[in-house]
Amino acid sequence: MTEPTRADGPAADHRDDVAGQDGGHRTGRGRLFLTGLAALLVGVLGTLWVVQARSSAPTDFGADAGFARDMQTHHAQAVEMALLVRDRTDDETVRTVAYDIVTSQQQQAGQMYGWLVQWGLAQTGSRPPMAWVGGEHAAAHAEPDGSMPGMATPAQIDELQGATGVEAERTFLRLMIDHHTGGVAMAQAAVAEARTPEVRTLATAIAAAQTSEIELLQEMLDARA
Amino acid sequence: MSKSSRPQGGVRAGRAKVDELRQAQRAAERRSRLILVAAVSAVVLLIAGVVGFTVYNDVSNRPSLDAVKTYTVTRDHTTDPVTYEQTPPVGGNHSPAWLNCGVYPEAVPDVLAVHALEHGAVWVTYRPDLPAAQIDTLKESIPDTYMVLSPREDLPGPVVASAWGTQLVLTGADDPRLAEFITTYRQGPNTPEPGAACTGGSDGELPPTTG
Repeated sequence: MTEPTRADGPAADHRDDVAGQDGGHRTGRGRLFLTGLAALLVGVLGTLWVVQARSSAPTDFGADAGFARDMQTHHAQAVEMALLVRDRTDDETVRTVAYDIVTSQQQQAGQMYGWLVQWGLAQTGSRPPMAWVGGEHAAAHAEPDGSMPGMATPAQIDELQGATGVEAERTFLRLMIDHHTGGVAMAQAAVAEARTPEVRTLATAIAAAQTSEIELLQEMLDARA
Repeated sequence: MSKSSRPQGGVRAGRAKVDELRQAQRAAERRSRLILVAAVSAVVLLIAGVVGFTVYNDVSNRPSLDAVKTYTVTRDHTTDPVTYEQTPPVGGNHSPAWLNCGVYPEAVPDVLAVHALEHGAVWVTYRPDLPAAQIDTLKESIPDTYMVLSPREDLPGPVVASAWGTQLVLTGADDPRLAEFITTYRQGPNTPEPGAACTGGSDGELPPTTG
């Protein structure tokens, strides 16, 4: 309504500028609108993706699958060492602790095996041990030789295999303290990084159980010094 | 339009000029909007294309396990000698003791290795004349547990990977299908006794013969 008046006025030379400014402003608004729309679209898609990722089964490269695979291997060695010491000593205290480790860790490894089956993932990962652990959990990183934290070397297993009596007990207690220390670090990394409640729950239980067992094993080792 | 309206007077001419400018302005807006839409579409298409190509590339470059052979085998325990139908065996009757998983520098008894397969191990065998460098490659490329590595005579290829009921003849230690085979079959769905140990068995000695 006001425009014809303005167009009729002496500022006619000015009109192009005014129109230009006005147009630029509108185009800017349109651009802003479209950018906003694009941002909204990205936001919605991103949210959907996160929701989908959280509710769906764990991925091949995630902490859940990594923990389920690596902890099975880690537990298997604890079971192996506990069975070895049970065959090499008559000491009831050591044999009882070993029995506890064999039965509980074998059962836990079975849970991890079952998770992977349920998630439709292979028991074997395509990445090296402990690759699932983030930078902030340095204690749970692989050893320089590539093995998991706390794992006994083949030479240490041979040492336990060749020992008997109190010597076997000492070797076992020493190796198992290191093994548990590494296991606790792995479990803590899983508590922080796993996204499924079943993994976080078991990892929490493992961290607590092995932490208290380290104290017990240390007392037993001190008593045999 | 503007020409015909010009004689009508200054107001109309001015209005026409404004209309013209508005139209030009709208056209410019449409153009820039179109350019923006095209640019956004192009970026979206580009991202979709890159993602699609990466996925396709990953899937199509995965080593094929088409050459894997599968067999139906028996699984009784026996202390008698067993003649196996496959070389190396992929299953069948076997010793009550299982072979401990690990790397063996010498050939291992089939009756023990078959029992390790039943527990979910993958058995990688290589011809005794395989170059030392390739044997090292094999040692480095296999997981720590549920794996047996040993030399063996009469193999159908330089390296053969076996799991319970399955086998793949490989061209050598650097055959990319080895890792794929291990991922698929080590403690895989073909395992008759998942969770059974790969330690605490035999290091190669046969248990005494019964009855």
